[in-house]
Amino acid sequence: MKMTRIVAGLAAVLLLGCLAGEAAAQKRGGTLTIVRPTDPVSLEPNLETTAPGAWVYFNMLEGLLTLDEKMQVKPSLATSYEVMSPTKVRFKLRPNVKFHDGTPFNAEAVRFTYDRALNGKPPARWASLAGSLAGAEVVDNLTVDIVTKEPYGPILRTLAMYCMGIVSPTAVGKLGADFSRAPVGTGPFKFVEWKTNTHVIIERHNDYWGDKALLDRVIFKVVPEEGARMLALQTGDADMVLFPSPAQLPALRKDPKFAVHETTGIRVVFAGLHAGLAPLDDVRVRQALLHAVDRKAILDNIMEGSAGPALGVLAPGVFGYKDMQLERLYPFDKAKAKALLAQAGWTPGPDGVMQKGGQRLSLSWLTARGRYPKDGEITEAIQAMFKDVGVEAKVQVLEWAAVFQQVRGNPLNHHMFTLGWVTSNADADYSLYALFHSKQTPPTGWNTSRYANPRIDTLVEQARRSLNQSEREKLYAEVQDILAKEMVWIPVYTTKEIIATRASVKGFQIHPVEYNLALWKTWLDK
Amino acid sequence: MLTFIVRRLLLAVPVLLGVVFVVMLTVDLLPGDAVSLMLGEHSTPQAVAALRDYLGLDKPLATRYVQYVGRLLTGDLGRSIQQNRPVTAELAEAWPATLELTLAALVLATVFGVTAGVVSAVWPSSLFDAVARLGSLFGLSLPVFWTGLVLIVIFAWWLPWLPVGGTGSLAHLVLPAVALALPSTAMVARMTRSSVLEVLREDYVRTARAKGVRERWVVAKHALRNAAIPVLTLLGLQAGQLMGGAVLTETVFAWPGLGRLMVKAIFARDYVLLQGAVLVFSLAFVLINLLVDLSYGALDPRVSKQG
Amino acid sequence: METPGRLAWRRFKRNRLAVVGLVLVAALLGSALLAPWVAPRDPAKQSLIEKRARPGAKFVLGADEFGRDILSRVIYGTRVALLVGTLSVVIALAIGVALGSVAGFTGGWTDTLIMRATEVLLAFPYLLLAIAVVSALGPGVLNTTIAVGIWGAPTVVRLVRGSVLALRESEYVGAARALGASGPGLVARHVLPNLLPTVIVYATLFMANAILVEAALSFLGLGVQPPTASWGLMVSTGRDLLLVAPHVATIPGVAIMVAVLGFNLLGDGLRDALDPRLRGDGR
Repeated sequence: MKMTRIVAGLAAVLLLGCLAGEAAAQKRGGTLTIVRPTDPVSLEPNLETTAPGAWVYFNMLEGLLTLDEKMQVKPSLATSYEVMSPTKVRFKLRPNVKFHDGTPFNAEAVRFTYDRALNGKPPARWASLAGSLAGAEVVDNLTVDIVTKEPYGPILRTLAMYCMGIVSPTAVGKLGADFSRAPVGTGPFKFVEWKTNTHVIIERHNDYWGDKALLDRVIFKVVPEEGARMLALQTGDADMVLFPSPAQLPALRKDPKFAVHETTGIRVVFAGLHAGLAPLDDVRVRQALLHAVDRKAILDNIMEGSAGPALGVLAPGVFGYKDMQLERLYPFDKAKAKALLAQAGWTPGPDGVMQKGGQRLSLSWLTARGRYPKDGEITEAIQAMFKDVGVEAKVQVLEWAAVFQQVRGNPLNHHMFTLGWVTSNADADYSLYALFHSKQTPPTGWNTSRYANPRIDTLVEQARRSLNQSEREKLYAEVQDILAKEMVWIPVYTTKEIIATRASVKGFQIHPVEYNLALWKTWLDK
Repeated sequence: MLTFIVRRLLLAVPVLLGVVFVVMLTVDLLPGDAVSLMLGEHSTPQAVAALRDYLGLDKPLATRYVQYVGRLLTGDLGRSIQQNRPVTAELAEAWPATLELTLAALVLATVFGVTAGVVSAVWPSSLFDAVARLGSLFGLSLPVFWTGLVLIVIFAWWLPWLPVGGTGSLAHLVLPAVALALPSTAMVARMTRSSVLEVLREDYVRTARAKGVRERWVVAKHALRNAAIPVLTLLGLQAGQLMGGAVLTETVFAWPGLGRLMVKAIFARDYVLLQGAVLVFSLAFVLINLLVDLSYGALDPRVSKQG
Repeated sequence: METPGRLAWRRFKRNRLAVVGLVLVAALLGSALLAPWVAPRDPAKQSLIEKRARPGAKFVLGADEFGRDILSRVIYGTRVALLVGTLSVVIALAIGVALGSVAGFTGGWTDTLIMRATEVLLAFPYLLLAIAVVSALGPGVLNTTIAVGIWGAPTVVRLVRGSVLALRESEYVGAARALGASGPGLVARHVLPNLLPTVIVYATLFMANAILVEAALSFLGLGVQPPTASWGLMVSTGRDLLLVAPHVATIPGVAIMVAVLGFNLLGDGLRDALDPRLRGDGR
């Protein structure tokens, strides 16, 4: 008995010692150098919603709520909320918070930020992301009401998005248009300088309301060549690489000098099928195409561990996600693919390509190269796989601007297109409504497959309006069940957020949402 | 002399205006437009219309062109569509980098090319000559982007002597300048060699030799001076090519110059920024050609009489 | 009495480098024509498991990121390179000779207009031109070729115009004119034949450049469509694998170099053989 107590005591002391050691080993200071492919267009959410800018301003601006690494909504600048009515939610704001320029954070700043974004000229880039958000109303200095135009189920997750950061009204007034190049928020880091196409520098905000950041500075450098970025990591010129080269990951994982941080992301990359254009209007043909694709081979050999399998049209981690069981429903089976095509009336022609009534099964396919990771490569790989079952795919690789134009144009004269879709607010409504509602065909929305199903329309409309989250989950589950039978996409992979760092970078937590690059808990062991 | 310069500059104006118009027209005709691209996933028709209206992009081509030229006369190159920043600011950040790279490559090409060419010509059929001529042929045949990649592998990876990309120090300049200069050095070497040889065979040179004037003096004073003209023409052309070739080199080496800016602007359909960049390039062409022509006058007294 | 042609050929044969060039070009031509028989494997057949295979028994020059045989793709790539090279030369020459002769002969306003247009084209960013052509006509080898041809036209215009101007003043043409010849007939029968040597030389050297330009365009993402093999595209896609599998990007680059070298040597040799006044090699 006594022995056990002594051992337990020793263990406790040791454990405490380790913890204390860990905590003591956390070093303050140092500069973290990050390399990424492109420069931001702007550093404020109104003008920039893509990653290059978001990575930076995520550390400088904060919203009322935030999404943590487990995809849960957590309080940030708001401490609590109360649903007042289907179109109004009241938030209590955190007291004693100051912007980087010293001015106080209050309800007026919230109202100002949203008013500027939604009603400004021009409206913010993220305005369409915000759905029915109408604005904010000041109740008192630390209380604000968020108002929506109609009952809006995703409201909390919308407010927790990376681009909903509150800005300092004083700074906006003073800097005017230049604010977008030197934003002022409440975050753990503040802006230092931006040399276009070269680097952006931010530094610790010493008056931050929460746990102060451990690093002194962060430099975001622009290095377009993937090979060059990896080299910089090897030589120590960079501490962290965003978008590392998949081919080098296995070696990096084994090397103790480096650390590879990864988690499943929320973007799905897919080959979209034009459900309104023959022969893809026949569901059997679409299903046959799904059986023809060896998704595992693509994941293993092209993505090489840098992406996870696509489990449906949504990514896990998105509210409302349901596993569509693609491996069980549509396994890689060339014979099955050919059988389905035969059922649909297609027989092998003289040159190996299927034909029916004199028509060859030839599909035109649009893709860009480099817009989404390995988009060109997976298209080429699937093109070869299609050939094996007698489907001819004529691929056109165009620059993104041209692909974008065509896919968003009406009518679309191509059968297939390679696209990616990220559920920006991590709520199924954002994807399922815009992608599959029959009225959301381009140019209004993103129903690029031109798919029309009245039952789905009803379901997504209902789910959007309801504030009852478990009811919404059930509705979305049914939508995904229907889509699993109709398959207007060939989902290829779900992105993995992967960041490679040198082993000296510690405390870094990777987030499923690629824009949420949180650096305030990171420190350097140098 | 002065009238010559002024006349040449004036003649360049319609060309520059023409280029601006053609660029604007071409971007208009291309699929995709700057605003939809910028808004990306968030481009609803209303958002696109609102942004275009705000940026003044919804006016017809003729109106926009006239407005642009009008502002051009006041030195205002407009604001880039992507960042809404003054184009002059964006260009000012980018052109020094391109200038640095182009000058470095030009210096390398001139120094090494001319030296190699002269030495080759003075000692033809020697080992140096053979090596130089073969080397030039290879240098001409190498694609710039490939050379860049190979140089990176060798000098930034196997032997980590030099940095991989970006700017900052002289070390950063070495690889891109060498990659860019290689084909030009080869051409300059060949041209120098053949024109020096040509001149060395001329009668008056033989006469000078017969008179006993020292070999080196003969070469230096007469041969070089007269051989310089075709070489200068080539250098002028090369300067233009180097600026154009900078696009590929800048992409491979992440060099933040005008070339890369132009590529980005084209892919984003940011025609305002693109026009600014094109104007700078075209102006540079004109000035270089002018300098070359002026130097003809300095070198060959027969030419300057033309005016 | 030897014909000028025979004389030129004899001079050409004596120039060893020129012969090397001829051999290289002939080899390229052979590769292109006999590709289906010379290439060991199907250039489009993928084998994802064997991606990036090192050069060895199965894949003589290794495999690319899809497990396709690099040697076969390089051989088939010859077709694209030669097609682009030849057709773009034809296009450049067609435009150039037509416009250049008109400019040189007519003079006056037409001349000025054509020359200014040429300068605008030269100042125009080439990438934009290529994208414009590709956007208007669609992607693919043929349309890239047109873009390369248009790129080369201004130089031909200048070249031809210069020669026409010089010839216009010559006694030869003066005599022909006195005998009643004029206009297009004059151009066709007297001016063009004298241009021939310059044009031939220019054509071979331009082909070398055309191959480089096509490679650059493919490198930047405009050009052939998958699964067609183009050397420039191979270098471009192999770029990301540089540190892991350098052979994927380097080997096609060598192919480009060899082809360009071949055309350059051939062009040089032709120039030396056809016009001794242009030779500056001291022989």
